Amino acid sequence: MWDLFKAELLRFRGWAIGIAGLHLLVLGFLTRVVDLGQQPWLVHLAFGIAYGAVGGLLGLYQMGVYRRPGTWLNLLHRPLAPARTAAALLAAGAVLLAFTAALPVLVVAGWQAGMTARVVDARHLLLALAGLQIAGCGYLAGAYAMLANRRHAAAGLVFLAWLPAMNAIGLAALALQMVALLWLLALVMLAFQPDLGAPPRRWGAVLLTALPLQMGVYLVLLLLWFGVEMLWIMQGSHPNNRAVPAPGGHNELERLDDRARLLAGLAASASPDAQRLREQVALSEPMGIAQQLRLLPHTGELTNVKPMAFDDTQRRVRWTFSHDSMRLQGLSLVDGRAAGTLGVGAANAAFPVPVLPIGRQPFLAQGDELLAGGNTLYQYDSLAGRVMPRLQLPAGELLLGVSMLGAHLGALSDKAAYIIDGRLLRNPGQGLLQPRQRVPLPGPGRFGDLSDLTLIELVDGHLFSCSFTRFAHDPRGVPPYQVLLRTDDAGQVQEVARRAVGFDYPALFRYRAWWSSPVMSEVLDRARALLAPPDALRATHPAPVPRDVKLLAAAMSLLAALAAAWRVRQLPLRWPARASWVAACVLIGWPALVSLWLLVPAEEGVDAAPEATPRPAPPRALVA
Amino acid sequence: MNDSLFTPETPVIHTAGLCKRYGRKLALDHLDLQIPRGGVHAIVGANGAGKSTLFRVLLGFLPPSAGSATILGRDSARLRPQDRARIGFVNEEHTLPGWMTVAAVTAMQRHQYPGWRQPVFDEVIGHYHVQPAQKVSQLSRGERAGFNLALALAQTPELLVLDEPTLGLDVVAKRAFLESLLYSNAATDGRAACTVIYCSHQMEEIERVADNLIILERGRLKHMSAPDDFRARVTHWVADIPFKAPDPAQVPGLLEQQQLDGLHHYLVLDQDDSFGRFLRASGARSVQSMPVSLDRAVNSFLAQHHAAPIAA
Repeated sequence: MWDLFKAELLRFRGWAIGIAGLHLLVLGFLTRVVDLGQQPWLVHLAFGIAYGAVGGLLGLYQMGVYRRPGTWLNLLHRPLAPARTAAALLAAGAVLLAFTAALPVLVVAGWQAGMTARVVDARHLLLALAGLQIAGCGYLAGAYAMLANRRHAAAGLVFLAWLPAMNAIGLAALALQMVALLWLLALVMLAFQPDLGAPPRRWGAVLLTALPLQMGVYLVLLLLWFGVEMLWIMQGSHPNNRAVPAPGGHNELERLDDRARLLAGLAASASPDAQRLREQVALSEPMGIAQQLRLLPHTGELTNVKPMAFDDTQRRVRWTFSHDSMRLQGLSLVDGRAAGTLGVGAANAAFPVPVLPIGRQPFLAQGDELLAGGNTLYQYDSLAGRVMPRLQLPAGELLLGVSMLGAHLGALSDKAAYIIDGRLLRNPGQGLLQPRQRVPLPGPGRFGDLSDLTLIELVDGHLFSCSFTRFAHDPRGVPPYQVLLRTDDAGQVQEVARRAVGFDYPALFRYRAWWSSPVMSEVLDRARALLAPPDALRATHPAPVPRDVKLLAAAMSLLAALAAAWRVRQLPLRWPARASWVAACVLIGWPALVSLWLLVPAEEGVDAAPEATPRPAPPRALVA
Repeated sequence: MNDSLFTPETPVIHTAGLCKRYGRKLALDHLDLQIPRGGVHAIVGANGAGKSTLFRVLLGFLPPSAGSATILGRDSARLRPQDRARIGFVNEEHTLPGWMTVAAVTAMQRHQYPGWRQPVFDEVIGHYHVQPAQKVSQLSRGERAGFNLALALAQTPELLVLDEPTLGLDVVAKRAFLESLLYSNAATDGRAACTVIYCSHQMEEIERVADNLIILERGRLKHMSAPDDFRARVTHWVADIPFKAPDPAQVPGLLEQQQLDGLHHYLVLDQDDSFGRFLRASGARSVQSMPVSLDRAVNSFLAQHHAAPIAA
C-alpha cells in the first residue's frame, strides 16, 4: 500500500510542482496588486471553481488511466484489498492537492501576515483548508465519474453544485464541505471494486448513491424548466418580455416610474385625502433610501461581502476590519506600516459585530466615513481619529442603508424606515441620533418580499409607497401587494391605501419546482440553509401552496409510484427492496423513479441451454 | 468452497453453465469447463470466442449473466486478497505503471506477495536486457513482456494465466519468453509446479508448451484433449475425382474442401478409412490420406463456422 502511495506521488510529481508554482505565482502577483484577504465572494468563487476543476481533472485522469480493462485488472489483481488500494491512490491525490491548492495559500497568507501590515485573520488561514476541501470534492467527483457505472456516474456533481450554493459560513461551511467530502469518498470506495460498474447492492450503499442521484435528477428537472422558460421567452409572450405588461400585474408595478407607482397606489385609496395626495405627488420629487448592505457580514466568515476597508484620505490611512480583534486595523498608505487600531469610542472597545463601510454622505467632513454593523450606524471622525456610534436602531433590527432625503437623513432597516432630522447630523459629538419618524414595513410581507420603497415629502410629513413583489414569480414570495403610508410631523403613521397586485405567472408555473417533487424542493432549500445564520434580508412570507398545485403534486407522485410498481416486477429485487422503492417514489416522485431506473439494471436474460452436445471429458489430472 | 476442500483432484478452473451477455451477443454460452490441476493448458479460439471474457469472469472482474465459475476452489465473485496471491495473470498489454522504474515495481511486488522468490525473478529477468533503474515506459515490448512474466513467476502462483502474452513480440523475444516459462515451470525447487493456462493463436507455441488443448468457439467448449489427440482427429484426404465431386453437405465430418490442380483436398474430422471408401463411392479414381499439423487442424476446425464474405 505504501508502495502504491509513493508510486502515485511520483507519477504526478512534475505536474504538482508546476501547478503549485503557477498557483504561487498568481497569488503572489495578486497580493502585490490587491489585498487578497479583502476580496469579495465572487473572487473566492472563481478560485473555488479553479480548485474544484484542478481536483476534478486529477480524479478524471488518475482513475481514467486505471479504469482501462487491462490496467484495472493489473491494479486490483494483487493480494491487497480493493479498499486499501483505493486508500493508497486517494491519499496520494489528497497530498498532491494539499501541495498544489492549500500550501501556496498558506505561503502567501504567511508572507502577508509576516511581511506586511495587512489584516490576516484566522479565517484567512482557513481559506487554505477550504481550498483543499473544494479541490478534494472535485477530485473525488471526478474519480467517481470515472469508476462508477455510467448510468449514475454524474451523481457526484451534485456535491460540487452544493458547495457554492450553501449559505453556511466560516467553520460551519468547512464542516459541510467535510460532509460533502466524506460522502463522495464513500461513493468512490463503493465504486472501487474489481467489477467496475457494478450497481450498489446493500441498502446502505443504495441509499448513499440514490440520494445524491435523486437530487441530481431533480436539478436536471429544474434545468429543463429553465429551458422551457427560455423557449417561452423566445416565443414572445413571457411576462417579462411583453412590451406592455399585463394591467394590474406585478410586472406592471415594477416597471412603473416612481411617481406613477405612487399614483397607482393612490388610485385604490379610499382616503378623503387621496386627491390632495395625488396633487402633491405630481409636485414633489420622489426619493428612495439606498440599501448599501445587500448582504450582511458575519464574524468568522471565510469570504467577504465586500472589502471591509476604507481609506482616510486626510490621514492617509487605510482602515481594515479584523474579525480576530473586532476592531479596525490601520495601515499607512505612505509607508505601508501599521497605523494603530480603532474600536468604538474613546475606550477603543471591540465592535459587537463586523462593520462595513457604507460610503460618504454630504453632511460628513472630509475624511470621515460611515460604517454599519448590526443595528448601529457608526461615524469615523478623521479629525478626532475616533469611531462613534451615531444611530442605534431597536435591538433585533439590522441597519441596511442610509440616504439623504432632502435636508433629512433616511435610514432603512429590515423592519422599518426612519427619518432623522438633518440638523442633528453636523455634530458627531452630540451622541446618538434620535429618529423623528419610524415607519414599520407593512405586513404581511417581510423584507425579502420588498421590491421598492419610494417616498415623497409632504407639507406635513411624508408619503411612503412599499411594493412587495420581489418573489411574486416564486413560491417563496408573499402574494404581491402595494401599501401607501402617510406620516405626519408628530410621527404618526397611517395607512392610506392597500391593494393586491396580480400574479403575472400562472400558479402551476410559479410552483413548478415544488410540484415536480415537494420533498426534493424542501431538501434543496434545507441543504442551502443548513447551519447558516438566519438571513433577515431574504426572509419572506410565502403564501400557502394552492390546492390545485397540491393535487398536481399528489398526482405526479401517484404516477411515479405506479410506474415504479410496474418496473420493480422486472427487476431482480426482493420484496422489501421493491416495497422500499415504490414507497420512495410515493414520497419523492419522479426523481426516485428515474434513480430506480438508473441504479437497478434489469436482469441480463439468457436463453435456455442449447441442445445437449457431447461434452469432452476432462483429461486426467496432470499433477505428478 | 474453502481452501480445505481444494484438493489435488479439484479442478483449478470450474465453470458450470457459465454465460456472459453483451447486449445481444452471448460471449460465453453455457460454458461447462473443468481444467485439472497441473500442466500447461492451452486455450485457443477465433477472435470473439470468449477467451478474454472467460478470464475476466474467473478473476472476478466481470459478473456472469448466468451460471457459476470457481477458480482454485473459490467463487470467482468472492476472491479474497490471499486468493489473488495464488493466481498470476499476464495479458498481452503487459500493463505496468510506465512512470515507475523496474526496481520500484519489483520492490512493490516483493512487498505485496508473501510467496515472492527473488531467485526465480532473477533467473527469468536474466533472459532480458533490463536494468533496474530503467523506467517501465523505456522498455521495449519484449522486455516488458519478459519483466511481466518474471514478476508473475516470482510470485510462485499456484495458477498462472497467460492471455496472449507473446502478442506483438518478435521471434527472438517470443522464444526467450517461452523458454523462461518452460524453464521456470519445470524447476520446482521443492515446491509444486504451477498450473499454467496459456491462451494464444500461435500454434507453434501451443505445440511447444501445451499438455492439454482446449478449443473455444462462440463462447462454447468445442474440444479438450492432448494436442496430439486432437491432431489425430483431423485427416487430410486427397482424391482424384474426374466427374462431379460429392455435395459438401453430404461429406461426413467435412472441415475444409479445396480443389487444387484438379485434385480434391478434404480436411475431415473424426473419419477413418471408411472416408476413403466414401470418396471412391463418389467417383474418386485415387484416394490418399495424410496427417495434418496441429496448426492446420485447429485452423480448419475453427474456420468451419467462421464468417466469410459472400462469393461474387
